[in-house]
Amino acid sequence: MGGTSSAPAEAEPLLSLSQVTKRFGSFTALSEVSIDLRPGEVHCILGENGAGKSTLCNVIFGVHRLDGGIMRYRGAPFHPAGPADALAQGIAMVHQHFSLVGDISVVDNVLLGRERGILNRRECARQLEKLAADYGLPLDPFARIDDLSVGERQRVEIVKCLIRDPQLFVLDEPTAVLLPDEIAALLDVCRRVAARGRAVVLVTHKLAEIKKVADRVSVLRGGRVVATSTEPANDIDALVRAMIQGSVETLDTSAASILGLETVKHVDHEPAKAKVEALQIDGLTVTDSQGVTRLDNFTLTVDCGEIVGVAGVEGNGQSELTAVLAGMMAPAGGRIYLGKTDLTGRTPKEITAAGVGIVPEDRHAVGCVVGMSLAENIYLNRLDEFTRFGFLRRTALEREAAVLMQRFDVRARGPGALFSSLSGGNQQKAVLAREITLPNLACLIAAQPTRGLDVGAVAAVYSHIRAACSRGVAILLVSSELDELLTVADRIVVLYRGRIMGSCAADPARREAIGAMMAGQPQ
Amino acid sequence: MTALNQESLLAFRPAVSLRPTLLVPVLAVAFAALIGLALIAMIGVSVPDAVAAFVDGTIGSPYALAASINRSVVFALVGFGFVLANRANLTNVGGEGQIAVGGIAATAVALYGHVSGLPLGLAFILPTIAAVIAGALWGAIAAVLKVKSGTNEVISTLLLSFIGVWLLYWCVQSTMLLRKPMTSSATLPESLEIPDETKLPLLTGDYSFPLHIGLPLTLVLALVVGVILSRTILGLRLRAVGLNPLAAKRAGISYARTVIFALSTAGALGGLAGALMLLGEQYTLKDGFSSGYGFDGLVAGLLSRGSIPGVIAASLLFGFMRSGGINMEMVAAVPTALVVVIQGLIVITLAGAALFIEKWERR
Repeated sequence: MGGTSSAPAEAEPLLSLSQVTKRFGSFTALSEVSIDLRPGEVHCILGENGAGKSTLCNVIFGVHRLDGGIMRYRGAPFHPAGPADALAQGIAMVHQHFSLVGDISVVDNVLLGRERGILNRRECARQLEKLAADYGLPLDPFARIDDLSVGERQRVEIVKCLIRDPQLFVLDEPTAVLLPDEIAALLDVCRRVAARGRAVVLVTHKLAEIKKVADRVSVLRGGRVVATSTEPANDIDALVRAMIQGSVETLDTSAASILGLETVKHVDHEPAKAKVEALQIDGLTVTDSQGVTRLDNFTLTVDCGEIVGVAGVEGNGQSELTAVLAGMMAPAGGRIYLGKTDLTGRTPKEITAAGVGIVPEDRHAVGCVVGMSLAENIYLNRLDEFTRFGFLRRTALEREAAVLMQRFDVRARGPGALFSSLSGGNQQKAVLAREITLPNLACLIAAQPTRGLDVGAVAAVYSHIRAACSRGVAILLVSSELDELLTVADRIVVLYRGRIMGSCAADPARREAIGAMMAGQPQ
Repeated sequence: MTALNQESLLAFRPAVSLRPTLLVPVLAVAFAALIGLALIAMIGVSVPDAVAAFVDGTIGSPYALAASINRSVVFALVGFGFVLANRANLTNVGGEGQIAVGGIAATAVALYGHVSGLPLGLAFILPTIAAVIAGALWGAIAAVLKVKSGTNEVISTLLLSFIGVWLLYWCVQSTMLLRKPMTSSATLPESLEIPDETKLPLLTGDYSFPLHIGLPLTLVLALVVGVILSRTILGLRLRAVGLNPLAAKRAGISYARTVIFALSTAGALGGLAGALMLLGEQYTLKDGFSSGYGFDGLVAGLLSRGSIPGVIAASLLFGFMRSGGINMEMVAAVPTALVVVIQGLIVITLAGAALFIEKWERR
């Protein structure tokens, strides 16, 4: 359904980039990129992490200056001095991360940075309501941002842009945090904006979205445009090949499903022969410092050799669940058992010693110390094994770290490399390597283990998790990517506002039901 | 001095190339010294006289040389403590109070601990140990406050400094405590002089060159602290907690233990500095005992950017500056205030040099 807009392909480009190059130090983020953005079109930019998608957006939006090439906007050379300049000239952008002030209303957020002196809230609210009607973006103008769901906040970001009536509308991976039906609504907005003769740029790595809205696709890899298509729906295979520089057939099926290629159930581990309960969570309740219940009576059992997925939109208690299981937070009630061992309220050290591996959702905050070396990070929880009379046996540490690097394909200059010099995927592989190689691993709790990883790294993470599972490790996989859970997990429970909304087998046919539960509708 | 850009000064830099790193600080000090001389000329003091007095006060006599080094030793100990705690991202600004409580403990044990008859150097070792323990406890108070209730250690160590300094004042004011018995109304508010056995042995045994065993002790401690920071699991734990306390906790490293270790070790080094000052030089405890050395040591730690040789270099600089400054004031009548201004200038140019080097390396 790619060609529903009636924009003629030969329309003059609104913004044309020719031979655009952007370097950061010795690293070339964009290399001679030439792209034409035409009015009336939805132009999708496809690419893996690190391909240069966000850099491209930031160049257009005036955040970065060009190191080479030229941009022409409405026929004239275009050198935005900064985001404010780009905005003034009719370019608006929705960033990957929200930039909203939480404690004030929708109207005030929209007015921020637009008005000086006295605020005309009523006029603004009237405009918001008109936009809402035009684009199908229902919003309460006087609601407080903190009270809105993630999807509603996304809508505020979009409205903030649309109220300026931009000529060029850039969205940088806007769907990562949305529910399935919210994604559909967002794509619909893109179509409507394009139908009004505006140019829309949608950055994504999800092929399903491209199939739905794209008039034109440019694929970035390593900072270069490696493929373009004006009939994306027909060229999907070629586009994916261009994106990952390999064939679709060799792709791990679950990794492929993340891209929206296919959803074939992948079972390469034996279902547990005898059911042995490994992890038992009984009535776990967590309240935050304000006394709000974040996790409410959460009860779940994970058997040995079983992968249980926890689905849900982010912020529905997943962080609290993993923090409590990792010993980083004390529960208000309930108990946690590993086999017969009570792990409730134990310290992280004791939990690790009991054989629970934790891949935390926030790698940089909890998973690693980026200012230390790869070797120190990959054995961070077992450094004591590398000491003699209190002295660190650095040679032994680096030798053992090199073995793990090899096994888990962690690419770095060497075991002594600073952890912050590693790419996100390699950092994640290192954290996974540390947790999954615990000598007595009985249970692995992995939260958002593939977030921000490219396809190759995703496949590697899955294969290690599966391998652990087939050794009989109980695995709790917390993810906001439903496709990931559907392909990797055996069973899915859905978290909604801290409660288990329901559970079912991880069957792709149940996708709609699970989506509804994620939105809070019991099935 | 507290308004220095902490962020950039405290940044941990494991390896620094030699070229601009050595040259720039030397140029900075020379530049500040030139401005200082210009200022001296401006107020009408003869520059050659002032320079002569400065040189006299630093290396002009064996006595001056030894006094300068003894002073540097104190700065270095406080500086080592600062660097060690800073590895765990803790800023110990409490050197002054730690010196004070160290001085109190050393005086108390030397005077009233019945140690002067003990063999094997125990007469001065026991007061020193008492000072180390007192300093460690003083540092540990700030650590416990931080662990239990998250009190910022900059504030708690600074306030504990005031308490320590005033505690010392009380000790030398009250005959119930350490003040010497009042024989006349002119008796000064200070302690008795400590017995000769409890004084630190001099390296040469010659009172005209009063360099005491604090120097070799400090050099050994420099090595020990350096090895702890770079080679041991303790040093690694300090770094992990400093760089990412959450990840360190998850990996089973105790935040509480690490913080308490770091701050009490820093305090112990401050207490030791106090013991060296009392047992090695001053011999009587009096008001103003700590002389601001805790803050000079803190600045030495700051300027060293985490390196132990850096602490030694900065401490020597400040030690000689102080000695020369005092002599300039006494002999050449350069006002104290001007001496302090010149010291401040050197600190600022050095901090500027540090920023310059950082930018140079990032190019």
